[in-house]
Amino acid sequence: MDWRVRRIGQALFTVWGVITISFLLVRLMPGNPMSAMIVELEEQGISPTQARYLVELRLNIDPEEPIPIAYVNYVGSMIQGDLGHSMYYDRPVVEVLATALPWTLFVLSWAAFISFFLGITLGALMAYWEGGRLDLGLTGYATVMGSVPFYVLAILLLVFLGYRYGIFPTGGRQPTGVEPGFNWTYIRGVIHHAALPVISMLVVSGAASLSMRGNSIRVLGEDYLRVARLRGLPDSTIAIQYVARNAILPMYTGLMISIGSMFGGSIILEEVFAYRGVGYYMMSAVNQRDYPLMLGAFTIITIAVVIALLIADLTYSKIDPRAGGGKSEGL
Amino acid sequence: MTEQAVSNDDRDASITDPILEVRNATVKFGMDRGESRVLDDVSIDIERNEILGVVGESGSGKSMFASAFLDAIVDPGTLSGEISYYPDSGGEVDVLGLTKSELNQFRWEEIAMVFQGAMSSFNPVRKINTHFVETLTAHGDTVSEGMERARTILSDLYMDPERVLRSYPHELSGGMKQRVLIALSLVLEPEVLVMDEPTAALDLLMQRSIISLIEDIKEKYDLTIVFITHDLPLVVDLADRIGVLYAFEFIEIGPANELLEEAAHPYTRALLKSTPNLTAPVDEMRPIEGSAPDPVNEISGCSYHSRCPMADQRCEVEDPGPYIVDTDHDVHCHYWEEASEAVPMPNDGSGTETGSPDSDQPISVQTPETRPRWAGENPVLSLDDVEVHFEATQDEGLLNLFTDPETVRAVDGISFDIYENDVVVLVGESGCGKTTLGKAAVGLERPTAGRVEYRGQDVWEAKETGGDIPFEDIRQSLQIVHQDPGNALNSYRKVFSSLEEPLVRWYDDLDGNDRRQRILSMLKHVGMSPPEDYIERYPHQLSGGEQQRVALIRAMLMNPDVILADEPVSALDVSLRVEMMDLMLELQDMFDTSYLFISHDLANARYITEKTDGLIGVVYLGKLVEIGTPERIINDPQHPYTRALCWATPELLTETDRTDDSPMRKIDIPDPTDPPSGCRYHTRCPEARDVCREVEPEMVDSGTDETHQRAACFRAQENHEYWTSESIVED
Ligand code: SF4
Ligand code: SF4
Repeated sequence: MDWRVRRIGQALFTVWGVITISFLLVRLMPGNPMSAMIVELEEQGISPTQARYLVELRLNIDPEEPIPIAYVNYVGSMIQGDLGHSMYYDRPVVEVLATALPWTLFVLSWAAFISFFLGITLGALMAYWEGGRLDLGLTGYATVMGSVPFYVLAILLLVFLGYRYGIFPTGGRQPTGVEPGFNWTYIRGVIHHAALPVISMLVVSGAASLSMRGNSIRVLGEDYLRVARLRGLPDSTIAIQYVARNAILPMYTGLMISIGSMFGGSIILEEVFAYRGVGYYMMSAVNQRDYPLMLGAFTIITIAVVIALLIADLTYSKIDPRAGGGKSEGL
Repeated sequence: MTEQAVSNDDRDASITDPILEVRNATVKFGMDRGESRVLDDVSIDIERNEILGVVGESGSGKSMFASAFLDAIVDPGTLSGEISYYPDSGGEVDVLGLTKSELNQFRWEEIAMVFQGAMSSFNPVRKINTHFVETLTAHGDTVSEGMERARTILSDLYMDPERVLRSYPHELSGGMKQRVLIALSLVLEPEVLVMDEPTAALDLLMQRSIISLIEDIKEKYDLTIVFITHDLPLVVDLADRIGVLYAFEFIEIGPANELLEEAAHPYTRALLKSTPNLTAPVDEMRPIEGSAPDPVNEISGCSYHSRCPMADQRCEVEDPGPYIVDTDHDVHCHYWEEASEAVPMPNDGSGTETGSPDSDQPISVQTPETRPRWAGENPVLSLDDVEVHFEATQDEGLLNLFTDPETVRAVDGISFDIYENDVVVLVGESGCGKTTLGKAAVGLERPTAGRVEYRGQDVWEAKETGGDIPFEDIRQSLQIVHQDPGNALNSYRKVFSSLEEPLVRWYDDLDGNDRRQRILSMLKHVGMSPPEDYIERYPHQLSGGEQQRVALIRAMLMNPDVILADEPVSALDVSLRVEMMDLMLELQDMFDTSYLFISHDLANARYITEKTDGLIGVVYLGKLVEIGTPERIINDPQHPYTRALCWATPELLTETDRTDDSPMRKIDIPDPTDPPSGCRYHTRCPEARDVCREVEPEMVDSGTDETHQRAACFRAQENHEYWTSESIVED
C-alpha cells in the first residue's frame, strides 16, 4: 500500500482511538463522570429522569442505551462536530473551544516560528564557530534550560516581568477597554499579552539550536561540501543551499513534534498566565468538573497534534527528495 | 624552476612536454602523537596527455597526492613544495602561489578532480541539473553552451542526459553517479583530470566499463589524467605510466607494461603477487607480511626495510635514491637488480604457465578427490525455487495516492544446495539480487515463494509452527558476516564482551577463565597480538581488517553450520584480500562450517572456490544464470553474462593478451522493477537473438557431472530454435 495512505490511516486510527477512550472513560469506568454528573444533578434537586436527560444532552451519551448503540451515537455526534454541552459555561463545547482555539494557535505558532528560526540561526553560528565561546556558552545554556520545566520558568517570568516590574500584563489575552479590530492599539495589546507565554516557551526550547548545531557539523564534514568548494561555488550558495538546507531537513519533523509538545505545555502555561486558550478552558473544566468541556478540549488537542504530525510526514517528501518511506533500496 | 630542482631530479628525463611539475611536495599534519608526514618530499613530472596511474594502499599518502594538485589539502594539513602547471596556451602557473580567487578559477577550469565518494559528492536536495548550472555560473560560463557540453559528455558516458539531469542524486545508481561526477568534472573543459579511487565503491563490471570509457573520454577531450587507486591490475591497461606509492613517497615509476612484467622494487613485486586474479595459480598468491609504517615515525633508510626479504644493514641507514632501470623507469631500492630472484613472480621466465582466460590452456587446478556433493549426502542448506519480491515505492508527491506500487523481483526462482564443509560463491553486479538471495538463504529474509530448508526442515515453518529442529537452533547454525564489520559490532562494547556473548550463550559449561582463554587464543590465531591488548579495545580502535576478523570470530564462536559472508573482503585493500580469505578458509577447517560467499569480484570467487573445491554461482537480475566449478566458469563460461564478468576482472596481462571491447551492449543493469522479458540478459547480451526476447532459457547441464556446470542460455543447448533465430543486436 502507498505509504501516504498508511500514514493517513494511522492518523485516523489515532483520532478514533482517542474518541473511543474518552467514551470508555465516561461510560465504563467505575466512579465515571456520567454517574458523578447524575449524582451531582440529583443533589441539586433535579429529578433522576430529568438528570439523565440532561446528562445525555451534555455528553452525547444516553445512559439508558446499551453500550454499543451509545458508542455508535457518541462517535456519530463527534464526527458531526458536536462535542456536547459545557456545564459550567452552559454553552455548546464547540462554541467555547472555537473562541479559544485561535488564541492558542496564535501563541503556539509564534513560539514555534521564533524558536525554529532562532534555533537555526544560532545553531548554524554555533557550528561555524565550533568550540568557540558562543558555541560553548549556548550549548551550556541550552542543556541547562532543556532540563528546567517550562512552567517553573513561566512562574518566574510572571513574578518578575509581570508583577514585579510590570513590563507585561499578568493575565488575559487582549487589552481591556480597546475595541477589538484591525487597529494598532489592539494588535499591540494582543502581542503584548501573548509575549510572556511565548517567551516562556522560547527560553526553554534550546533543543532546536542544539540539533541544528549537530546537523550543521555533520554536513560540514560531507563530501559534497568539499566538492562544492572545489567547484568554486560562491560561499553564500554553499552556506545556504548546501549546509543550511541539508542541516534543516532532519529538524523539520522535529519542529512538528515540538508543536505537539507545546500544545501539551500550553495547558499549564495558559493557566499560569490566565490566557484564555484551549488549555485554559481545559484546566478550568478540570477544576469545575465540567466533563464535556474537558473531553472536548482533550479531543481537540489530540486532533491538532495528530494533524501537525501528519502534515509533517506528508510534506517531508516535498522538501527532502529522498524521503518517500518504504523499502526503496530493497536490493 | 630552479637549476637545482632539475639536477636532483634528472630521472624525469623522459618527460619532454610536462603539463605539471611537482617538486618536493610534502604534507604535514600536527597530531596528538606528534607531527606526521603524509606526503614525503614527492617530486614527479606529468607529461601532457598521458595517463599516469598512481598505485598505493590505504595510508600510503595517495589521497594527499591527489589533493595536492588542486592545493586542496584538508585542514589542518599543510602542503609545502612547488607545483608548476603549464597550460596548453603556454606560460607557467605556480599553483601553490595562487590567491584564493585565482585558485577558485584555477580549480575545475584547469585541473578538475573526481573523488571516490561519488555516492556523497552531490547535494542530496538538489537536482543533477542544478549541480551543472551552479558550476557554470560560478565560473562565469554561458549556461546554455555549458549545458550543451554537459549533455554531450553525459551521452559519451552512455547515459540519457535528459533523464539524468532531471534526477535527484539518490535516484541514480552508484555507477551512474560516478559517471555523472566525471561529466561534472569535465564541464568546464579542464586540461587535467585527477581521479582519486574513482571506481572503488563500484562493482567490477561497472569499474571496468568506466575504465574503458575513461580511455575514450581522454582521447576526445584531450585530457591528461592522473588516476589514483589501490588496485594495480585495474590501472595497468589504462595507464601509460605507473607510479607506486609506499609510505608517502614514490618507490617505483615506470611504463605500465614494464612495471607489470619486470617490476624492480620488491614491494611492487609483492603487490602484484598479492592480487587475486583469474590466471595466476592460486598457490602463488601471497599476502605481504607486516604492515606499512606509521606516518608519525620518521624512518631512516628505506621505508620498506621492515617488510623486505632482502633488507640488510645498508637499507636501514641509507635512503635508496632513484636508481635508473631504464630511461623512463626508476626505482628506489639499493638491490633492485636482485629483486626478481628474491621475490619471484609466477610469470617470470618463459611465462607459459599462465594463460589468458580464453586461451586453450586450462588454468592449474587441484583435481578434486571426491566431491562431497556426490557422496550421496544430504545438503545442510537447500534452496528450492526461492523468490523474494519487494514492493517498491515511488514518490511522486501527494497526488498519486492510489497508484499501484511496483514489485521488485529481487530473487526470482533460484535453487541450489550447500553441503557440509562446502563453499558456494554468488557473483554478480550490484542490484542483481545476490545479497537478498544470501539473506534468504540464512533465514534473514523471508522468501515470498519457494522453500529454504535446513537439514530437511523448512526454516520458516520451524519459526511459525515449530518443527523437528527448533528455530533457535537454526538461527544459531546460520550466521552472517557483513561487508561492513563496523556495523556488525556493537560500538559501545569492548572486543572481549562482544566475543564473550556467544560463548556465554552457547557454551554454559565454560567458566569465565575458560572463555577468556578461548577468546585470547582465537585472537592470537587470527594474528591480533598481543590479544590481551586487543580485548580491551572498542571497535573504532581497530582497523577495518581487524574489525572484520573480530566479526568473523564472533560468527564462528556461535558454532554455525553455514556462514553467509557478504563481500567480506571488498572493503579491504587488494593486497590484504588474500590474507583475509586464507584466514577465513583456515577457520572453516577449524570449525567445520560451510560458507556462502557473496562477491562482485570473480577473482576473489575463484580464489576461494579453487582452494576449497567450491562452486561459483552467477546471479543476474534475480536469476541464477550459471553455476559450476571455478575452472569451468572461468575457462569455459557458457553464459554470455559470465563472460562479461570474466572480462571485467582486472588481469595482470600485458596489452597484447587482453581483449578491450566490452562484451556487453549496455553498461547499466536494467531496472529491477521491470526486468526484460524472456532471457533477462537479452538487452545487454551480444549474442541475443529474437527468441531470447520471448522465451526464458532453462538451466541445463552443460558440463560433466564433476564440474556441475549448468547454464541458463540457449547457446548451451545444441538443437535449440535459438540457432535459427534472427539476431537482435544492431551494430
Ligand atoms: S632498499 Fe633494501 S629494504 Fe628497501 S626495498 Fe631495496 S632491498 Fe628492500
Ligand atoms: S539466452 Fe540469448 S540473450 Fe540470454 S544469454 Fe543466451 S544468447 Fe544471450
